[in-house]
Amino acid sequence: MAIARSQTNLITAQEAGLVACTGCGSVHTQEPSKCTRCGSRLRSRDDQSLQKVWAFLIAGMIAYLPANIYPMLRTKTLFSYSEDTIVGGVIALFKYGNYGVAAVVFVASVLIPIGKFIAVGYLTISVQLRSQSHQHEKHRLYEVVEFIGRWSMIDVFVVAILSALVQLGGLATIKPGIAAVSFALSVVFTMLAAQSFDSRLIWDSDRT
Amino acid sequence: MTDDAPHKIAEMSVTHTRRPIWQRMSLVWLVPIIALAVSLFVAWQDYINRGTLIEISFDNAAGVIAEETVLKYRDVTVGRVEKISFAEGLSVVLLQVRVDNNVAPYLDDDAQFWVVRPNVTVRGVTGLDTVLSGVYIEGTWDDQLDVAQTAFVGVENAPVSRGGQRGTEITLRTRDGSALAEGAPILHKGIEVGFLEKPNLSFTGNEVLVTGFVRAPYDKRITANTRFWDISGFSVNLGASGVSLDVSSLASLIEGGVAFDTVVSGGEAIRDGHLFDMFDDEASARSSLFANPNRELLNMAVLFDRSVSGLSVGSEVQFQGVRVGEVTSLSAFVEETSAGQLVRLRANIGIEPDRLGLGEGTTVAQALSFIEDQVAQGLRARMITGNILSGSLSIELLIVQDAPAAAVQYSDSTYPILPATTSQITDVAATAEGVLDRISRLPVEELMTSTIDTLNSIERLANDDSLREAPVSLAALLDETRALIADEDLRAIPSDLRETVAGAQRLIDKDISTVATDLSKVVESLDALLQQADNAELIATLGRTLTRAETTIHNIETATNQLPAMTEQLNALIAKANALELQALVDEATGLIRSADALISSDATADLPASLAASLDELRAVLAEIREGGAVENVNAALASASAAARAIETSVEGLPALSERASRLVTQTEDVISSYSTRSRFGQDMSTTLRDIQTAADAVTSLARTIQRNPSSLLRGR
Repeated sequence: MAIARSQTNLITAQEAGLVACTGCGSVHTQEPSKCTRCGSRLRSRDDQSLQKVWAFLIAGMIAYLPANIYPMLRTKTLFSYSEDTIVGGVIALFKYGNYGVAAVVFVASVLIPIGKFIAVGYLTISVQLRSQSHQHEKHRLYEVVEFIGRWSMIDVFVVAILSALVQLGGLATIKPGIAAVSFALSVVFTMLAAQSFDSRLIWDSDRT
Repeated sequence: MTDDAPHKIAEMSVTHTRRPIWQRMSLVWLVPIIALAVSLFVAWQDYINRGTLIEISFDNAAGVIAEETVLKYRDVTVGRVEKISFAEGLSVVLLQVRVDNNVAPYLDDDAQFWVVRPNVTVRGVTGLDTVLSGVYIEGTWDDQLDVAQTAFVGVENAPVSRGGQRGTEITLRTRDGSALAEGAPILHKGIEVGFLEKPNLSFTGNEVLVTGFVRAPYDKRITANTRFWDISGFSVNLGASGVSLDVSSLASLIEGGVAFDTVVSGGEAIRDGHLFDMFDDEASARSSLFANPNRELLNMAVLFDRSVSGLSVGSEVQFQGVRVGEVTSLSAFVEETSAGQLVRLRANIGIEPDRLGLGEGTTVAQALSFIEDQVAQGLRARMITGNILSGSLSIELLIVQDAPAAAVQYSDSTYPILPATTSQITDVAATAEGVLDRISRLPVEELMTSTIDTLNSIERLANDDSLREAPVSLAALLDETRALIADEDLRAIPSDLRETVAGAQRLIDKDISTVATDLSKVVESLDALLQQADNAELIATLGRTLTRAETTIHNIETATNQLPAMTEQLNALIAKANALELQALVDEATGLIRSADALISSDATADLPASLAASLDELRAVLAEIREGGAVENVNAALASASAAARAIETSVEGLPALSERASRLVTQTEDVISSYSTRSRFGQDMSTTLRDIQTAADAVTSLARTIQRNPSSLLRGR
């Protein structure tokens, strides 16, 4: 541990007796309960962070289940009616030879959400276990998760746009299914989970 | 850490406070709890509403796609196919269908399911939307809650659905169901009022039973007196007015159909399932109105050795010339005899017991025993010609005198066998030929000649002078008569008589004793004298003369009788003569002669000649009067007009050869027509070709319709 610190030569703001405002970034030495610049609450560590992460993560996972079970798109044309789930749509696209689109949808709708669950879950667990390994990688992982979170809505956007565009009366109608709502909720919950994660806790693993 | 003191700006007191768990728990935990609750609620809701799973088995499931094909009831989606699988042994396809919960309780044993595919029939196109949307499963069931089931057997085609309509169900009995298809219409006065369901064989296999459904309010038109008849296909009538083709409707042409009518009122109302017989055509249906078609028939069989060509199912069975039944079926069988195998023909006949004359309500057994009795007395069956032109035969039951003894034979395999006798079949061709032969052999020419001769003779006779002189001869005859009466001898008779009487007087006066003998002699001679006078035959001759004159007149009348016109004129003449009181005068003359006769036999014979002469004078005057009155001229005029009439007849007779020529031409034409009935003639060929063409066309239409019905998609696919 000492070696690691000497190598990186890192100290935390807490060790330095400083508190950085999470809102505007100004650093305070004393312990005012509020940031003098932006007025947000100053906390060296969010002690409820992990609770929130877990709560949102579980909510996201719960929402993700119906998102995959129920149909995402309800397509009604003159002569047919079909309901497509996310995975069903991917398989159909793959079957029809649209490998690229199938890959994009698969990545955006399946890989990324599940990857996020795993990543956030891993980060949280490793913080709780006070793991001290790969702290930098963990931090980078966290940043990737946060960055990518906003793009997870791509599926919902597609459904929203299609539903808005394809309203041709009796000829063809596309409506969002329950899964679309569930999927959106799932994405929101995972984003909240990622946001609730206090990344500073990654670096606290070697302290008691 | 602690040795990094120089970096330390300020000591930070980090307090780790232990708070109770409910304070440390963040409110954010509500979020997943709510999410979970909502998810579970949705899942539960979904589970509750997912419906009942039923299983329908089909022979094939063409076009059915799992998770896509829906189940519809009255065109409303009430379920969806979940899974398609095979039953054990791959015998049938099992479709697992998730049915809405509010419908599932109604799915009891009357529920029927079928796959709706495009269906093109003569009555319209159905299920066309399934061409693009894919097939769906349609179901029908009633609105009665019954014991719900979950396993069903699907039907191949859409059943003819009554769709909750009210009406009456009837059962039709027919011999042949080939002309009837499921869904064929029931027409009443040309309006479709119902439909037939699928024809089924009866339990015995002898008949076809079809259930029909007649919608309210038309079902009120059906009573026990209603008759149903087949209107399938078309009828071609070859009659005096030419060929007439009768097609009821395009639908009935291909699918068949049934029409009904109730002509006789007062029939009892019927209940569901009433059994009716179906007649082949309207005519036989109507002619059967007074017979009870639903009575049990006495079935018998007749065996014939010769061909029964011309005998057909439905041929009449006559008993003493009255129709008592009909032929129900014909078949051939081989009989083993000592001489080898012999093919015999068996005609099964159905006799209506009521028609045998045993009264209403005769049972089959009674009828059979009656027939047995009759057979013992010589009742036999034979074939007779029913219709000379068509060559159709019918079976006649008749009493054959001195027939060899026979009895009704009973066997297990057939109906009781009625003994047969030699058939009397008139061959149409032979008969027609014979008739024509006889017509052509008729001595028409000679007949005409002799007729002309006869008329000539009549004319000659009428023109004959002797006939004209008949009145003259009559006058002469009367003259002669008068002369005879005026004869001296006759005149002498009274004086002789007087002398004789005087002599007798003298004798009486002379001697009484001799008187007696003399008197007797006198009486004798008087007798003789009187006898002589009788023998003179004067009276008789006169009478005969008058009779002869009468006969002559009568003969003239008879001769003239043969020509109606002449007779009429002669009758008028005679009437005129009558009007001239000739008859009365003659009567008077007769009366006078009679009185003359009386006079002769009376004592006042002295006045006799005078009065006789006077009367004869009178008679002569009468005759003269007649002559002057123009009677003879009248007769002559009459005879002249008679001769004119005869000439007119002669003229018309001259026209007769032309007539006979036309007649012979007609006969030749008739001959041609009759000979053209034979199959080799062009007319027959043309006719049969035409009919065959019509038949081929109808067959083609039928097969097209069948193909389309069987495989509607072929219309769309083009194969």
